[in-house]
Amino acid sequence: MNVDRKKSFIGNPITTNTNTIKGLQIFIADLRTTQHSQDHERRINSELVKIKQHFEPNGSGSRNFNNRNNNIRLDGYQRKKYIAKLAYIYITTNTTKLNDILFGLDEMLNLLKSNHFAEKFMGYMILELLFEHEKVVNIIGNKIYPRLLADLSSNNDNFTALALNFIGVVGSLPSNFAFNEEVVDKVFQIVRSPTSPQYLKKKSTLAFLALLKNNLSILTEDIQRKQVWIQKIIGLLDDTDNYRVTLTSLPLVEYIAKHIDPSYCFRIIPQLTDILYTCVVLGTSDSGIYRFPTEYKFAGIPNPWLITKIVSLLNVLIASPHELSNNNNTPLQVQSQCLHPADLDPETLNKLRKCAVEAINLGNRNTNDVMQRIVQNTILFSLIKFATKLDPSDEAIVNSVQALCQLLNSHEINMRYLTLDSLIQLCSSNGKVAIDAIRHDNLDLIIHLMNTERDMSILRKIVDLLYTFADIDNVQVIVDHLLNFFLTSKHISDPQIRSNISVKIAILTEKYATDPNWYIDISLKILSLTINTSFNDDELWYRLCQIVVNNPQLRSITCHNLLNYLVEKQTSEYIVKTSAFLLGEYPSLVMDKISVENLFTVFAEKYFTVTNLTRAMILTTMIQLYKFAPQLGSNIIKFFQLEINSLDIELQTRSYEYLKIIQISKMSGDMNLLNILLEPMPPFNTKANPLLKRLGNLQPENSGITSLKNSSTTSLTESMKNIENVEPSVARRMSMKQPPLAPASRKNTGVLTPVQQNGTFETDGLNVKYTQQRLSTNFREGFVRMLLHKQGIFYSSPLMKIIYRTTKLEPFHLKISFTYINQTEWDITGLSSEIIAAHVQNNPEYIIQNVEPLTNSNIPPHKRVDQNFQVIVRKPYDIEESPLVNLYFKCGSSSNNITLKLGVGITSTIFSQSINTNQTSSVTLPQFITRWRTLGEALGKDAECQMQGIIMNNTDKNQDVNPIVTMLASLEMNLKRIGLDVIEQTNVANTLFVAGIIHTKSEGNFGCLLKIQCQADWRVNITCKTTVAGPLASYVVDCLKRIISE
Amino acid sequence: MSIRFILCFNKQGVVRLVRWYTANESGRETQEFIAQIYRLISSRDHKHQSNFVEFSDVTKLIYKRYAGLYFVMGVDMRDEEPIYLSHIHLFVEVLDNFFGNVCELDIVFNFYKVYMVLDEMFLAGEIQEVSKDVLVEKLHILDKLE
Repeated sequence: MNVDRKKSFIGNPITTNTNTIKGLQIFIADLRTTQHSQDHERRINSELVKIKQHFEPNGSGSRNFNNRNNNIRLDGYQRKKYIAKLAYIYITTNTTKLNDILFGLDEMLNLLKSNHFAEKFMGYMILELLFEHEKVVNIIGNKIYPRLLADLSSNNDNFTALALNFIGVVGSLPSNFAFNEEVVDKVFQIVRSPTSPQYLKKKSTLAFLALLKNNLSILTEDIQRKQVWIQKIIGLLDDTDNYRVTLTSLPLVEYIAKHIDPSYCFRIIPQLTDILYTCVVLGTSDSGIYRFPTEYKFAGIPNPWLITKIVSLLNVLIASPHELSNNNNTPLQVQSQCLHPADLDPETLNKLRKCAVEAINLGNRNTNDVMQRIVQNTILFSLIKFATKLDPSDEAIVNSVQALCQLLNSHEINMRYLTLDSLIQLCSSNGKVAIDAIRHDNLDLIIHLMNTERDMSILRKIVDLLYTFADIDNVQVIVDHLLNFFLTSKHISDPQIRSNISVKIAILTEKYATDPNWYIDISLKILSLTINTSFNDDELWYRLCQIVVNNPQLRSITCHNLLNYLVEKQTSEYIVKTSAFLLGEYPSLVMDKISVENLFTVFAEKYFTVTNLTRAMILTTMIQLYKFAPQLGSNIIKFFQLEINSLDIELQTRSYEYLKIIQISKMSGDMNLLNILLEPMPPFNTKANPLLKRLGNLQPENSGITSLKNSSTTSLTESMKNIENVEPSVARRMSMKQPPLAPASRKNTGVLTPVQQNGTFETDGLNVKYTQQRLSTNFREGFVRMLLHKQGIFYSSPLMKIIYRTTKLEPFHLKISFTYINQTEWDITGLSSEIIAAHVQNNPEYIIQNVEPLTNSNIPPHKRVDQNFQVIVRKPYDIEESPLVNLYFKCGSSSNNITLKLGVGITSTIFSQSINTNQTSSVTLPQFITRWRTLGEALGKDAECQMQGIIMNNTDKNQDVNPIVTMLASLEMNLKRIGLDVIEQTNVANTLFVAGIIHTKSEGNFGCLLKIQCQADWRVNITCKTTVAGPLASYVVDCLKRIISE
Repeated sequence: MSIRFILCFNKQGVVRLVRWYTANESGRETQEFIAQIYRLISSRDHKHQSNFVEFSDVTKLIYKRYAGLYFVMGVDMRDEEPIYLSHIHLFVEVLDNFFGNVCELDIVFNFYKVYMVLDEMFLAGEIQEVSKDVLVEKLHILDKLE
């Protein structure tokens, strides 16, 4: 033992030494010296009795007095010691003594009450172990809540840490913690609170993950909570000092992206990319410009854990085109919500690609340190698969494949294993390009590896890879190699891999065979080699029988081949079964080779070499033979009579029944009954090859295999029927492939607006994301300003100011620039924004595009960052549905969320020539009146909107002596600002006549005429007519109303 | 990405450490489950075989032997294996640092401290802290607390 750390000679002998428990050490040492298991058992039992006495409040019988004494003296240290002993007993007996230590559960709970860390720790430690058992949960599952809640709210961080550990360990086991609101809330409080120490934050994020895994509804039940909590969680990633909380938040965010909603996470992609870039590119560079904290390096590489977790999350968020169009594994909903690489902004994409390149360089770096090489390649393997997603060009895939294939020659076994694994995944996600690239140069190498590797894990990967390679052209070569390996390898003692190979050969031959002789030859060979029946490879012969029954032209060669196997001395049981089935069904086909008497004899001989299940089959074959050749009668009857006393109930029953049938048919003198009972086997209609289920982790994903999945149901049957012509089967394979789904709309190219194209399901036509937003209280001022002015202050708070500028690229095509200004003395960090459109599907009214990433996610005090994006107005829309901007940032320790509404309405598209030329209107009053009438006659009320009594907003209403003049002047100025023409006239004193053109991209331009009448009580009446029927007029009035009244 | 369980046993198959982060798969008896893992891993060639092996339809094992002790992590089938070798290595390094040249006896006599190390490093099947310095410092503080 580590004597140097003992300090037991000072102070009180009982509690001095908190880091060793003497009684426990003695007990463990004692147990270790007892050699015989009986002594061991006895020592444990006597200790259990002793502990029980100490724990019982009232012992029994004569020792009552002593026990009470003991119990009174049972202080925290002793309690801890005894519980520690129980824990050791539990562990050392490999949990078999669970029932014998349950008496201690209450004392364990008592330990949790202790104010001493070491005691509390011991209590939690053993309960973490025991909560695996339902029994334990049933007894104290509820009693533990008060302790847990108390510790979660404790002022002592170490106590809170223990409670969080406990939840982090048992939370995802079947326990009820995840359904206890209080526990969930307390844990989340620690997650969200800006004052929680980092140490507890890390623990609480993972504890929360454990709870979430057990109960998704924590986040999904309440939509508002979902929104707020997820934003808080995502905010945790912004821990750029040492990434400690980032590391523990990543799995939580990934879990949310995978199981709840990925769209929340899209906005952090640039941020994640930056971290990745910092680690992979800057952190590994030798130039020394950037120093990655050494304590977070492992084997010389910057935080490989962080790297793999980020790549893993990005993999969830970004789907390759291939995945989008052809994915069988992800549920459709999640799939449609993934981001396409083309949706990423160019800078992010570029950085990610640089990371991938650097990872490949890293993989090629020489090092003698085994661990370092592993870590380098960890990063290589993790990024190389991701890289092909970013750049799915053939060239990039070939490059990745080539980089990987070099590693196949590695001296390290792990490396070869991982390389093969990556190659399989590349093939699976990139299909033919990757497959071709690998097999073109490396097929021989891989086959060589198969024959030399001694590791079952690697062999399995090789078999998987070869399986993936196979196609109609090379199937014979690959199957031959697999078969040869199966027959000759010394290293394949493992029955599982034998079974694995036979299943794969069977699937490949069925899938690609064009030559029936070859198919039958290989299939029977596999059956004849499959000696071990423990793996339930019955499916192999089931499938062969199905195919032969369904394809009459295969029957004769199969039966003949079977006969050849049968006459050999040792025949695999599968062959016997297949023969019993097929030769019983089609005995006539082999009569050219063997007499029916001899056939009977062959089966009769085999009968005694096989298991009862097969015997039962042979009994049926016998009666079929009888039907085929009644002259065998007495032989067969004798045979059945032999088994009529069989101990096996099935054999007995069959023999008895078959005898009866023969008797009846003899009595009736005809074969009718037999003919009815033993009708020719109808074709099987089992659609899918049951063997496909056996592929395990090699589930069809890529196009090659998928096509197999789609076509295999018919391909063999079909290809067999069309043996003369291979083409139809190939054509079928091609045609059966689902036409690839169109990738998610790529209209929007900004990374920050993925929501728009990602099928966040709309209710009532509105983007759910849009409806979920809650606007910040003071949004209105900026909103109206933006409706009216081209530039100005959009938002201002003590923390941040936002300045906007709107530029019209075309009348309906607005470019909006935001400048975010940090108003504080602290850094604003983790700034991210999201522009949200009201509609993203079904031909939306406007779209948001070209959202550029923020120039920086951090803003130093009083500095600014910029962001641009564009809005294209396609159709008229209600100002109520104008775009929202959602901002998140941290400042000091507070995290902030601002949601604002953009003042971009249908009036934003009004554009007048006269504005550009001079301030006079191009329309005269008589023209206006004529047009007004024409519109009224043509469209009537359908194109008109009236609104009375809009109260005009004016600060000094009371001082004004002539309100109408003021009103008219102010209105005229504002209307002109928007781009409307105000007609110069003096005929009607209190009214403005206004004209303008509204522009939309999809529906063209619309004229718009307005009469705006002012009243002395500061009220305004508006009438609007448009050149199109529908709600456009009301949309225009709504916009004006906001400008006038707010 | 997540660890389903962490196991540590010696060459004789005596379990020294076991931690479940997900419910035992398909209701198998814990002891039988561990015994199967032991049989599988101890039968594998130390020199000529990799540190990875598929165990069931949902779990693969990443393991490494240090002296007489096997450290095993059972992870999700879709996880990437190599990072877990780093997990194991870091865990062993921290144990080594914390106990000062750790040996099997340290783990036997101080089993509860090993669980303390475990809970500081892994939670909910995820790694919690990767800085050896931070870990060892914190562990020494906790170890001295009454």
